Amino acid sequence: MKRFVIICMAALLSLGTTGCGTISPDQAHESVQTFAMDTAMIFSAYGSGGTKAAYAAEAEVQRLDALLSRTREDSAVSQLNAAGGAEVGVGAEVCALLSAANTYTTATGGAFDITIAPVASAWGFTEAAYRVPSQAEVESLLQTVGPEHVRWRAMDPTSAVSGMASLDADCKIDLGGIAKGYASDQVAKIFRENAVPSGMVSLGGNVWVCGSRPDGKPWRVAVQDPKNSENYAAVLNLSESFAVTSGGYQRFFEENGKTYHHILDPATGYPADSGLTSVTVVSAESGTMCDALSTALFVLGEEKALDFWRNGSYDFQLVMVTADGRVVATAGLADAFEEVKGSGYTYEIAH
Amino acid sequence: MKSPIKTKPTVWDGLVALLVVFTAIACAAMVWGGSGSGALTAVLFVDGKETEQIPLANLRSQERSILANGYTLHLSLTAEALWMESANCPTQDCVHSGKISRSGQSIVCLPARVSLQLKGNTADGVDAVLG
Repeated sequence: MKRFVIICMAALLSLGTTGCGTISPDQAHESVQTFAMDTAMIFSAYGSGGTKAAYAAEAEVQRLDALLSRTREDSAVSQLNAAGGAEVGVGAEVCALLSAANTYTTATGGAFDITIAPVASAWGFTEAAYRVPSQAEVESLLQTVGPEHVRWRAMDPTSAVSGMASLDADCKIDLGGIAKGYASDQVAKIFRENAVPSGMVSLGGNVWVCGSRPDGKPWRVAVQDPKNSENYAAVLNLSESFAVTSGGYQRFFEENGKTYHHILDPATGYPADSGLTSVTVVSAESGTMCDALSTALFVLGEEKALDFWRNGSYDFQLVMVTADGRVVATAGLADAFEEVKGSGYTYEIAH
Repeated sequence: MKSPIKTKPTVWDGLVALLVVFTAIACAAMVWGGSGSGALTAVLFVDGKETEQIPLANLRSQERSILANGYTLHLSLTAEALWMESANCPTQDCVHSGKISRSGQSIVCLPARVSLQLKGNTADGVDAVLG
C-alpha cells in the first residue's frame, strides 16, 4: 500500500512540475496571422517580448503594404506610377528600395527588374485576369522596361518630403519582387528590438527564422516540390536565416494546353524558361537580397546562377530544383540540407 | 526492537523510478516539443482570425463550404489530407495548391482571405514551407 501511495504521489508531482501547461516567460508563445502584400503572413514569437513583437510586426507589414502596394491607389508606388512622368514625393524609404532594386538589377544583368510591371499586367498576373499578350504588344511594352527609366533622389532628412522619384512616361514599377523581403528585414529588426530569442516568420514564400526552435534544434523549413504541392523537394535545418523561394508553380495559368507562369524574363517579356522549376536563396544577411536574387536566379538558370554564387559578390546559398529532376544545393548548405526519400529527385551539392 | 532498514533497491523501487522518469519525459515533450506537437489538426483562419480547429484523426471523409468575403470555397477533408476541391475565386491558387497532408503545410485563398494550416506532430513535420 505504501508503494502504491508513493507511486501516485510521484506521478502527481511529475505532472505538477512539468505538465499542466506551465511555461517559462522565455517559452511564452504568440502567433499572429494577417493578410498583406497579396499573401498570408504568420508571425510566431517566443519569449516575454514575443506578443509585443508579433503584433508590432503585423502593424509594420500593414504599413509597408500601404506604402509599397501597386494595387492600392493611395500607396506611394501607385502615386508614382500614376504621375505620368512627373516627380512625386515618395519618401526616403521608397527611394532606398528603388536604389536597392537598381543595385540588384545591375548585379544580375537585368534578370531582376521592377519595371517589368506593365508586361506583367499585360499577362494579367497583377489583376488575376490571365491572357497571353501578342508578341507585338510585349515588344512595345518592353520599350519602357529597364532601370534607366527610373530616377530618385533622397532629400535632406529634415525636409517635409524626404525623397522624390519619377518614372519615364508609360514606365511603371512593381516592388512585389523585393517588398516581402524588405518586410522580413523590418520584422527581424522588431524581433531583435524585443529580444525575441526564438521565432518564425512566414511572409508567403519568404521565411525568416529567429534563433533556434524552443527545443534548441534548428527550424525545419521545407522546400516545396514544384511538381507536387503535397511533397517536399528538400528540407533545410536553419537558424537565424532568411530563406526565399521563387517558382513558376506559384502562380500560373493554362491556355491552349500550354502553361504560363508569373516569373517573366525582363529580356523577352515572356515567362522565364531557364530549366529551373524553383530557386531558394538562403542568407543570414538580408531578406531583401534573398527576395531579389531568388527571382533573378530563376530567370538566369542553373549555370549562370551558380556562376553568380561562385563570384562571391553576395553572401548567400542556393537550392535549385531543375526541370530534369535534380535538386542542386550549394556547398554552404551541405550541413543544413536534408534529402527527401522517395521524392524522385537526385541530389547534388555544388562547389 | 526496530526491524533493520532495507537499503537494497527492490523491483518495486525500480518501477517507481521508471514511472517518474517516463511521466516527466512525456510531460516535458508535450510542453517543450516545439511547434506542431499533438495530432494532425487543420486550423482555419478567416481574415487572419482563427475560426475553427478540425482534428483529422479518425475523421470521416467530408466536404465543407467556407463562405468568406463574397467567395465560396469547397474544402475536402479526410483523416490524412485536405484540399480545396473548388472555389469561385478569380485566381484559383487555393485549388492549385492541391492536397496537403503534413504539419507545416497550408492552403491560402487571397481573394477570400482564408488560410488553412496543418499543425501537429508527424514524423516528417516541418515548421514552415517555402514556396
